[in-house]
Amino acid sequence: MRVSKRSFYLVALLAIAAMLFGACAAPVAPTEAPADDSGAAASDAAAGDAEAAPSDFQIGLVTDVGRINDRSFNQSAWEGVVQFAEAAGMSEDNYRYIETQDSKDYADNMQQFIDNGYNVIVTVGFALADATLTAAQENPDIYFIGVDQFQAEEVPNLTGLIFHEDQSGYLAGVLAARLTQSGTIAAVLGTDLVPPVVAFNEGYITGAQSVNPDINIISTYHPGGMDVAFVDPEWGANTAKQALDQGADVVFGAGGLTGNGALQEVAVAAEGGAQVYCIGVDSDQWETVPAAHPCLVSSAMKLITPGVGELLTAAQNGEFPGGNYYGGSGLAPFHDFEDSVPQEIKDELAQTKAGLDDGSVTTGYGQ
Amino acid sequence: MQSIRRFIRPLLIPFLAILSALIVGGLIMAFFGDTSGTLMERLWRPVRAYQSLFEGAFGSGRGLSTTIRKMTPLLLTGLSVAVAFKAGLFNIGASGQFVMGSVFSVAVGINFPGLPPFIHLSLALLAGMLGGAIWGAIPGLLKVYTGAHEVIVTIMLNYVAALFAGWTVYAGGTQGQQPGPLWDTTAGPISETPDVLASARIPWIFGPPYRVHYGILIALAVAVFIWWLLYKTTVGFEIRTVGQNMKAARYAGIRVRWTIIFAMILAGGLAGLAGGIETLGLNHKFAPEFGGGVGFDGITVALLGQTHPLGVIFASFLFGAMDAGAAKLQFDTRIAQDIVQVIQALVLAFVAAPTIIYTIFRMKPDPEEVESAPTVNWGAG
Repeated sequence: MRVSKRSFYLVALLAIAAMLFGACAAPVAPTEAPADDSGAAASDAAAGDAEAAPSDFQIGLVTDVGRINDRSFNQSAWEGVVQFAEAAGMSEDNYRYIETQDSKDYADNMQQFIDNGYNVIVTVGFALADATLTAAQENPDIYFIGVDQFQAEEVPNLTGLIFHEDQSGYLAGVLAARLTQSGTIAAVLGTDLVPPVVAFNEGYITGAQSVNPDINIISTYHPGGMDVAFVDPEWGANTAKQALDQGADVVFGAGGLTGNGALQEVAVAAEGGAQVYCIGVDSDQWETVPAAHPCLVSSAMKLITPGVGELLTAAQNGEFPGGNYYGGSGLAPFHDFEDSVPQEIKDELAQTKAGLDDGSVTTGYGQ
Repeated sequence: MQSIRRFIRPLLIPFLAILSALIVGGLIMAFFGDTSGTLMERLWRPVRAYQSLFEGAFGSGRGLSTTIRKMTPLLLTGLSVAVAFKAGLFNIGASGQFVMGSVFSVAVGINFPGLPPFIHLSLALLAGMLGGAIWGAIPGLLKVYTGAHEVIVTIMLNYVAALFAGWTVYAGGTQGQQPGPLWDTTAGPISETPDVLASARIPWIFGPPYRVHYGILIALAVAVFIWWLLYKTTVGFEIRTVGQNMKAARYAGIRVRWTIIFAMILAGGLAGLAGGIETLGLNHKFAPEFGGGVGFDGITVALLGQTHPLGVIFASFLFGAMDAGAAKLQFDTRIAQDIVQVIQALVLAFVAAPTIIYTIFRMKPDPEEVESAPTVNWGAG
């Protein structure tokens, strides 16, 4: 009994050792045979190890802490990469992403692409701004696209993809002013410490006033600091409730989870039979906040997907702009409210968007 | 032969736990998520994934440096949990102690310009240990004098530490909320401290992009010291005796109360030192998002290391390597990095419940070993 047990341990240890050595020795195998490309298996590993041929165009994306399919910034940016890559007929091995697990790993994750000779690295989110800038300065031959990262100084191989938040806020304001029956609309906002939030609000106000100069707008910023302003759905819900009590029937929620709390509160009122609407922010919140479906008529979006695509095209053509690049702004689809928004409002929104794009309509923000 | 068995036996459970976790993790990778490909291709997928994980952790200078960087705090928080285990205490509070250590270290590190580098750094590290030790002493004192269970108290204190740390670096609000005392006044709306002064930073062994600092050597030295303390000194003997049988220890004339408090202070100091080293060596500042997640990973590391300081070194090395290789795994195979956490959780499950391992591998449990399994006497104290 004792002997057999001991021999079992021996086998177990050997198995582990074999595993470790196997892992050690194996990398040579797949790189030798990239030609026999029967499945993704062999080629995947090969692309990781082999040095990229200089003519290859390879795109890497590093997410902010979170998932690639977050239905928000990470996903929008990745869709931009995928659309570009598919249109360009790129091999699937040449565009990849790494999901960041810990904010201390930004630099390491970018390095993974740098080490593998990638040409373009997309980093998603304001939080990666510092790490992206450092990496761009250390690697002048690689293009970096920083989504939602404002560039104070111009680095030729780094472009911040940023947005005219005031313009999508303006469109939301026009929509809100057209939808309201009571003549009172509201905005529930993250903190005014953050310029984009202010831009959303200012645009919203001017947009609404362009439709009805006498419209009553209740816009409220979260009073707390950065640590709570975007993660306080309870405050958002209470503030939205207050606005509804004061007669508002359209609420624009702009401020992360705080804004989502407002949307959900309005949705509760809408389910209770009230004729009230809510408008989301940043991405199409129909996808991100299902609980808001009863009221969510649209969202004031940052059009990240096309913006990333445009910058990738520029990078491929060697016309990378550097500095800041403004992506488009616009409203999300109406989804279930497609039929309840009259065609003339849709036309007006389309006209306004065109006007904002060509500069004939201005939001008054930052001027 | 008997002596070899005595040496091998304690290694067996961890090895089999890791092996089982890798196999189960491999099955998950083969049969969940991407369901395309033939059976052979799918069975091959985890092999490639582990190969990438291994390369990511050891295949390059940068991989190795990341492994070492990730291992350093895990080693110390693992020791923190292990020391408490030896005294029969379950320290869930390494996370909070880590955070308090970070805050205390940074408070010294951003102040006192003009101090000579070695002295400033030593003071900052000592401050970190002090912060953690205070945070460890509280549950120790409460247990001894009121009977409050250390598990509950340490869990609660994690929240208190996180909120306290958040307050110290709070940027203030627009409606008159005062900023915290350690906040960087130039940081605008962002809640974080200024950078630690150069004289209080742990020097690099290899600078960027490798970013390996001397903290690993401090941590290894501390591990050896803890081993010496536990197994070669009277204090260590008392700690282990209290952990094995509190009543017998009291009957033998050991000061049980003092030993419990001392063990918690020591545990807290170790986790606090982890926070100090991470802050002074790597982050060079404190912000709430740096958090104390490694404090919880320390529990797994301590259990995997069989609560032995030398075992903890290997366990933290292994977990550091897994964390370091995760990005490469995703890069090469497109498998979500979360699989690494799944595997680590499986390791914890298998180590914490050795009976599962005994059943799977048809082994006869060693009666002594089951008695001393670290989680057996939960709540007994």
